[in-house]
Amino acid sequence: MSIDPAFALRVLPPLVRGAALTVEVSIWAIGLATGVGICGAAARGSRIRPVRWLASAYVELFRNTPLLVQIFFIFFGLPRVGVRLSAFQSGLLALVLYTGAYNTEVFRAGLEAVPRGLREAAMALGLSRWQQFRFVELPLAARIALPALGNNFVALVKNSSLVSTIGMVELTFVARDLEAWTFRSFEVYGMATLVYLGLVLALSGALRRVEARALRFLRPPEAR
Amino acid sequence: MRWEVAFQSLPYLVRGLEGTVRLGLLVMALGTILGIVVGLLRLSRGLPYTAATAFVELFRDTPLLMQIFFVFFGLPALGIRLSAFVAASMAMTSFAAANAAEIVRGAIQSIPRGQMEAARSLGLSYVQAMRYVVFPQAIRRMIPPMVGLFTTLIKDTSLAAIVNVFELTTAARQVVERTLASFEVWLVVAGMYFLVCYPLSVLARRLERRLVSESP
Repeated sequence: MSIDPAFALRVLPPLVRGAALTVEVSIWAIGLATGVGICGAAARGSRIRPVRWLASAYVELFRNTPLLVQIFFIFFGLPRVGVRLSAFQSGLLALVLYTGAYNTEVFRAGLEAVPRGLREAAMALGLSRWQQFRFVELPLAARIALPALGNNFVALVKNSSLVSTIGMVELTFVARDLEAWTFRSFEVYGMATLVYLGLVLALSGALRRVEARALRFLRPPEAR
Repeated sequence: MRWEVAFQSLPYLVRGLEGTVRLGLLVMALGTILGIVVGLLRLSRGLPYTAATAFVELFRDTPLLMQIFFVFFGLPALGIRLSAFVAASMAMTSFAAANAAEIVRGAIQSIPRGQMEAARSLGLSYVQAMRYVVFPQAIRRMIPPMVGLFTTLIKDTSLAAIVNVFELTTAARQVVERTLASFEVWLVVAGMYFLVCYPLSVLARRLERRLVSESP
């Protein structure tokens, strides 16, 4: 069998349609995993010991087991205890919990990097504990966390390929399906790889712009 | 709940875990060697730099699962036919090497430039200066992230299950198919991965902290 470039171009439209679901699940997961990361980091810095302990246990459990096993546990294991989730819900939940654990660590590092004096200044100004967190610590911590957070998002897009194993019809699933029909695996997987590369490069490009905007205040005024 | 089923299958799952650790060690060893080469090329100029950068970007910016499919199903189209084990280890080695290369490059670039300049002014060639002066110092900084990479690789060996290489996740799928005790078996299997990965994560963190406290 030889390589057929014309065929490679023909499989592009269905692959791009599959990529739409990859993008959809990634956007949902990025939003939710960011929320989980902020809550997790706040919990890890809590004054209440059991809350701190629970948050650490969550982070360690989800960071030290394979995402694929988490997906299988949620999709195949949970129905045995009466929790029945669709493939989309299972895949999204696994991606959110897995990435959320990594985001928790990133936000925690960001919060720890906020100078103590700022917190004290906020306290001296009479801000409540919540106001301190919301208006002083979090905005700064999020900016410090941004580059590492971006890496987690890129990893998330790549990891979303694993949800094809429970039957979500995203990019990887479409590629496997096309391959099964046509047996032209080189072209199909080659093109699918390129589509992923495009998605990842677009995301990292967007992240660089967000970073530049968020860190604008660090540059001298005339360069803004 | 049928926990006894999961525990009766434990010997079989442990054999799967052996496969996981074996695959992980193989990929880590080969990936480190290849990663050092690619990482050093990333510090050069011209064609070697471009080739090394393309390699790193390609394998870091696409899903490992796609890479495995490409090597296992795609390469036979070029007349290269590989067993599932060889295909999965090849894809994972490239993935590991791309990540290791960035660790190597970062560590070497973190060594003060003066070290290289001093070595060169003593009459050492570039290769000698790298081999005897810069690289040995960089190794200490590579170790913590390399342990972290190893943890990631142990988790990622689970993807080999999708092309039916025998390791822990494959063993677990077989047990689940036979017993239908999906909840129990997947939970036990997650616990087994955790027992391997958690100590590695703790080790990586400790090495990292020691490095930070030692550096001036």
